Amino acid sequence: MKRFFKIFNVAFQSINKNRTRSLLTMLGIIIGVAAVIMTISAGEGATLQVQNQISGLGTNLLMIQTKTEHKAGINVRMGRPIDKKDLDMLQKNAVWMPKISPLVAIGVQAIGPNGYKSTTVYGVSYDYFYITSRAIELGEFFTEDDVKTAKKYCVIGETIREELFPGQDPIGRQIRIDKVLFTVVGLLTQEGSGGMGQDMDDIIVAPYTTIQNRLYGQQRGYNLIMASALSEDHIVDAEIEATELLRESHRINPDDEDDFDITTQIELQEITGNITGILTILLGAVASISLIVGGIGIMNIMLVSVTERTREIGTRLAIGARESDILTQFLIEAIVLSLVGGTIGVIFGFIGNQIIFKATGFFIPTAMYSILIGFGFSALVGVAFGYFPAQKAAKLNPIDALRYE
Amino acid sequence: MPKHHVIETTNLSRVFKNGPIEVHALTGINMTIKQGEFVSIMGASGSGKSTLLHIIGCLDRATAGEYELDGVRVNALNKNELADVRNQKIGFIFQSYNLLSRTTALENVALPLIYDRSGRFSNAKELAKKALEQVGLADRIYHKTNELSGGQQQRVAIARALVNNPALILADEPTGNLDSKASIEIADLFVQLNNEGKTIVMITHEPEIAQFAKRMIYLRDGQIISDEPIKNRSTKAFALRELEKPASLKNNPV
Repeated sequence: MKRFFKIFNVAFQSINKNRTRSLLTMLGIIIGVAAVIMTISAGEGATLQVQNQISGLGTNLLMIQTKTEHKAGINVRMGRPIDKKDLDMLQKNAVWMPKISPLVAIGVQAIGPNGYKSTTVYGVSYDYFYITSRAIELGEFFTEDDVKTAKKYCVIGETIREELFPGQDPIGRQIRIDKVLFTVVGLLTQEGSGGMGQDMDDIIVAPYTTIQNRLYGQQRGYNLIMASALSEDHIVDAEIEATELLRESHRINPDDEDDFDITTQIELQEITGNITGILTILLGAVASISLIVGGIGIMNIMLVSVTERTREIGTRLAIGARESDILTQFLIEAIVLSLVGGTIGVIFGFIGNQIIFKATGFFIPTAMYSILIGFGFSALVGVAFGYFPAQKAAKLNPIDALRYE
Repeated sequence: MPKHHVIETTNLSRVFKNGPIEVHALTGINMTIKQGEFVSIMGASGSGKSTLLHIIGCLDRATAGEYELDGVRVNALNKNELADVRNQKIGFIFQSYNLLSRTTALENVALPLIYDRSGRFSNAKELAKKALEQVGLADRIYHKTNELSGGQQQRVAIARALVNNPALILADEPTGNLDSKASIEIADLFVQLNNEGKTIVMITHEPEIAQFAKRMIYLRDGQIISDEPIKNRSTKAFALRELEKPASLKNNPV
């Protein structure tokens, strides 16, 4: 152990003697580790942001849709559409889903006194506002009764207000959606962009009855039914309940598959988590290539160093160093180079994340595991790329090494 | 106390095989060197003196024959044991010093102790200082290699060869890179160390340096052709006086 410490000291001294060279050698590792940390952290930051936005929708959300399959490039509806029968049945029987709203969405042209905009109008029931936890900025939501009597009321998002009523109070005024006149009763509080980058304020919400009667034409059924579970803990109960009720009411044999899809917010989070996770791995892999290049840099310099110090190695062997002593010395040199480089790289990566945060406001948490990966990788690179030169040094014949000019 | 044998070789041979060609570098070397001897080995280049030094120094192995160093049968040792024997029993001195550059004299001298596995030495720094005092460099302990003259560098190398208290000091052309005056100083240092009881084997091709030893072995074509005590040993004073003389008046002290 004492001898190991001495050999460690020898290795450290020879690094110190060639400071400029050592620093340049480390540069590859520094950049590699910093790149790995920054890309992994950026991926983590993106995941965090997306997940925050999704959970902003309410993590106890369930969406019930007709099953679709992707065939020949288009989505084909596989089962019967989700319709009023399903809605009534669920509203009557569901225990774990206190709030249920249908949703019919149509792309429309909305025309106001001062402008027009292509947008999506969502036909929903009053529960929708509760389920999505959207708040009202001005005016009020339409009521349960308004839905029942199919009033031509609507609530609009901020983006719509800007286009149709620039700088004006829209409450009580009328807009034309396709050929139907609607009265604006409320303005939604601004929410910004959603988890997938869509504009959450480019939206018109109206009673689904009105939309179905006036705009939806002959098509029956809903795009989907939205429901919120009693609480986040009961989202699985709610999913099971909805599945059982719908299978029963659709008369599906026990051996057959569901003709509907239930998506929960948790699943949505998992899906986006997977996407950003794959992205992180991809970026990390690209960054780790630079680490490997850095490792080759170390190997290159170590090989030069072995050749340059052939006589020194010969002398050490002659005065009684064993092959393993020489191997250890050069291996330690390579590992110390890459570990010191790794440490500096970690610091640079951390600083880099802070700079990006300051410059763009995009918060990047420096993931602990990215530091461990960066550090571990650099140690591994040191061993892997240091071994060959160290082995070469240890295998030198002392007589030839002493004669080397 | 009877002086024991530091080196004993019996019918030592070394053959280098280079494809179909066999080169007989050493043939049938029988040589005994006792404790406290100071031996010069001379011979033209290609006479096999370097090969002999490498085998004696446990850097190379004989093709045939027996070699015993300070009671250890070297033939039976493996690579690691050879390294340990070099570390414990031999002090090497090279023609080109082979010191670590940009390193202090003290650190250079302490170098063999790093590789010591016997645990004999606990105070490496003290021992290194003592060795440097022995070669007359007490005031250069913290000088770096590049701040020392050739003669001083060779003294550091000699101190390095002394630090592990070896049974044998092996010098390979120790004055080959030095001027005449520095060479005489080094040769005189060997005489002093020998007087203190060190066993020294020195390879040289300079007759006036070889003349400082007690015994001379002459090699030719891988064989010992003469092995005699030196009757008329040179001294520092004599050698320096010889140096002053014009070339025409120089006469061989033998």
